[in-house]
Amino acid sequence: MTTLSTPPAPSAPAPAARPVGPGGGLGGTALGLLRRREVQLVVAILGLFAVCTALHPQFGVSSNIAFILADSVTIMIVAAGQTFVVLGRGIDLSVSPVLGIAVIGTGFLAQDNNLNIWLALLLALLIGAGLGMGNGFLVSVVGIPPIIATLATLTIYGGWQFIICGGQSVISVPAAYNNFGNANLLPVVPWLVVVGVGVVAVAYFFLTRTVTGRSIYAVGNNADGAFRAGIPVRRVLFTTYVICGLLAGLAGFIYLCQIGSATSTTGTDSNTNLMSIAATLIGGTTLLGGRGSPVGSALGAVFLSEALQAMISFRINELWDPAGVGVFILIAVVADRKGAPVRQMFRQSFRQPTRPAQ
Amino acid sequence: MSSANNIGGLVSSAVLQSARYVGKSITKSFDGALVLSQVDITFEPGEIHSVCGENGAGKSTLLKIMAGVYQPGSGELLFGGNRLVGLTPRTAQQRGIYMVPQEPSLMAALSITENLFLGILRRGRLRFNANWTSMKREASAYLDRVGLDIDPQVKAEELSVAEQQLVECARALVHRCSVIFLDEPTSPLTGKEAGTLFEVMGSLRADGYALGFISHRLDEVLAISDRVTVLRDGAKALSAPRSEVDRAGLVRAMVGRELITRERVRAHTDAVGRKEMLAVENLTSLPHFEDVSLSVRQGEVVGLAGLVGSGRTEIAETIFGLRPADRGTVRLEGKLLGHRTPRACIDAGLVYLPEDRGRHGIFAEVEVQRNVTAGVIPRLERFGPLISPAAERAMAEEATKKTAVRMASLGTLMKSLSGGNQQRAMLSRWLLAGPRVAIFDEPTRGVDVGAKDDIYRLVGQLAEDGLACVFISSELGELTITCDRVLALYEGHVVGELSGAEITDTTLGALVVGAHLK
Repeated sequence: MTTLSTPPAPSAPAPAARPVGPGGGLGGTALGLLRRREVQLVVAILGLFAVCTALHPQFGVSSNIAFILADSVTIMIVAAGQTFVVLGRGIDLSVSPVLGIAVIGTGFLAQDNNLNIWLALLLALLIGAGLGMGNGFLVSVVGIPPIIATLATLTIYGGWQFIICGGQSVISVPAAYNNFGNANLLPVVPWLVVVGVGVVAVAYFFLTRTVTGRSIYAVGNNADGAFRAGIPVRRVLFTTYVICGLLAGLAGFIYLCQIGSATSTTGTDSNTNLMSIAATLIGGTTLLGGRGSPVGSALGAVFLSEALQAMISFRINELWDPAGVGVFILIAVVADRKGAPVRQMFRQSFRQPTRPAQ
Repeated sequence: MSSANNIGGLVSSAVLQSARYVGKSITKSFDGALVLSQVDITFEPGEIHSVCGENGAGKSTLLKIMAGVYQPGSGELLFGGNRLVGLTPRTAQQRGIYMVPQEPSLMAALSITENLFLGILRRGRLRFNANWTSMKREASAYLDRVGLDIDPQVKAEELSVAEQQLVECARALVHRCSVIFLDEPTSPLTGKEAGTLFEVMGSLRADGYALGFISHRLDEVLAISDRVTVLRDGAKALSAPRSEVDRAGLVRAMVGRELITRERVRAHTDAVGRKEMLAVENLTSLPHFEDVSLSVRQGEVVGLAGLVGSGRTEIAETIFGLRPADRGTVRLEGKLLGHRTPRACIDAGLVYLPEDRGRHGIFAEVEVQRNVTAGVIPRLERFGPLISPAAERAMAEEATKKTAVRMASLGTLMKSLSGGNQQRAMLSRWLLAGPRVAIFDEPTRGVDVGAKDDIYRLVGQLAEDGLACVFISSELGELTITCDRVLALYEGHVVGELSGAEITDTTLGALVVGAHLK
């Protein structure tokens, strides 16, 4: 049947590739598009908006829209960073105090020494990246599991935040900060939203179009396979934590401009950890790594902000907010593509891996 | 049945006699790759039934299905005449089927007693308390039964692997199981420890237990079995009473893969005088292999023939920088590769297609396109820092066309391709790296028959184009049709080299089973 010079060609009786599974593929039909988490979230955001506006016309006014968007920016940026880590099959529980230290570190200098706003931005980024390096070192060099390493730094960084504050609080910042934090580009579009969208766009292109970004997906999907494909696994993981810290620092700067005050528990008291992880999971990034996008996480942040605002409209006590966020996390994880990851988690923890070990 | 110990709860011989366990036409696939196809197997009371085969032949999967770890894709399980449906490890144990896993899975920080009775702790008079006194007494008796003279209060972590395995056997008895499977129990054991295990297995057989035993060590299989089943590529290749098989017959069944063609892919190439592309000298990584030297010239296909445990994969992984070498050198086109990492090897022009595609190769949840370009991400065409999607797509398109990957589109997720197409995509990945030397480790494992033929021809074509190839395989037939030279490995040593017309199934078969040493 074979001869020497025949170039390899498909032999006749071969099974064709099976059809693409749900959600698979770069392109897709209308139905396939609806299975994408980003599209589902846009539908959910618009749907919730329509329902709330119908019941409470006040919900639909432009100032409320602007508020919802601006309110989501901090979490949007932290969640973009969290997405990097989760894509690499990790988790960062220390973003609360990283954001907190960036806020108070720059806040005190701004309040007491009238620090230039650009220098404050630079300082916040440096603080974030530095603390992120700590996490990256523990996970990728020392080899501590991410959940434990960042739980430890959550406490360590949280302690530093108290020490830096020394019982003081940031009460007010120079006008330049407030102006930036509360100015609108258009009547409905605050400047901060432009920053948030810009960060998410850069994150998106970084993840999908750069060497490091592409390596993050590979490492999160199959670290062993990635190493064998020549990808420097540890360096890639380290990078994800630095980027996560950097973006938490940036979010701290934005928080300072927006709110103008800070205390020793800033970041922690607003549940930054929970919110950023929630936005990431709601956005379709799985904790199993290797799948998801910062665009989904950003939409997740907007959805959360909108839902919490809706709860206010319906006069639900804000004490219920965390419970509401938790419910959204559960819905998002269960709805995740036929619930496969959930089943997989069960299989992995209680039974054998889905593949036979050979 | 030995009743010297008078243990409460040992299974009566009447129950043992009725415990015949039958698997009928069992079929199973993982991620599109068929791992078991229509396998029938019967475990009879009072018999040791060995299941052997190469890596990936499906032996572990078969027993795991019968022990409830995996669900069969199709087929049925009959235990003592009753059909078992939706079996889990727990219900299997309740029925009397116990699997001693490849790695002992005792709870390290718990005592032997507690490990033995885990899940069925004996209650005391108050009902909510545990009756440790009676359990300790029983535990000693059970340990005695498996030939262990150890205080049952010792923690499991203080036991050697061999002792842990015997405790697992005792655990099967405590749970009144009548069918006991052992998955490659001897691979971590010394010869003497294995001897003890075989004695225990023999005495359990004498009591009427049905034992299933997985091993790739043919001496063991021949020494202790009453019946042998050989699996090859997920199908039953042989099943016969021990008296009807010999060593040569087993090897033939294990490695005699059906080939569409017995014709050579290309004429034998005598590469003497051509440029030496890969030179490995005295490479050693104990205890896996020692003093392995090999040389591959441009356009030459050199085979590494060896059964499981011969060190074939370890050699490849050491060359590719995945394992440290104790000593020895690797030269690529005369240049020494000192500190080897996969990245350094790839950049130097050496690629390695791993044996275990699922664990070490593919990114299952990622599109085919990105799977294919994963080895060359830093080399993709870029505008500033951004990779050009169009250029990448064109690159992946061309590479997958060359290896004839059949898929809906480049955007298809890798996990939805069949095994053969996944392997073709992996080949495209490595071809994109522009290698001058390629190591193919069992490239046709878990691949459908038609695709195997394509892979042989592809390797032949690549060699024609000048690629220096190392072809690792346990399937001697495929080495005879693809290779210009073959080195035979036996227990970590090169035991022979054949070239040209000397390469036949028979000559290779004798070398890889160590016949010259007997």
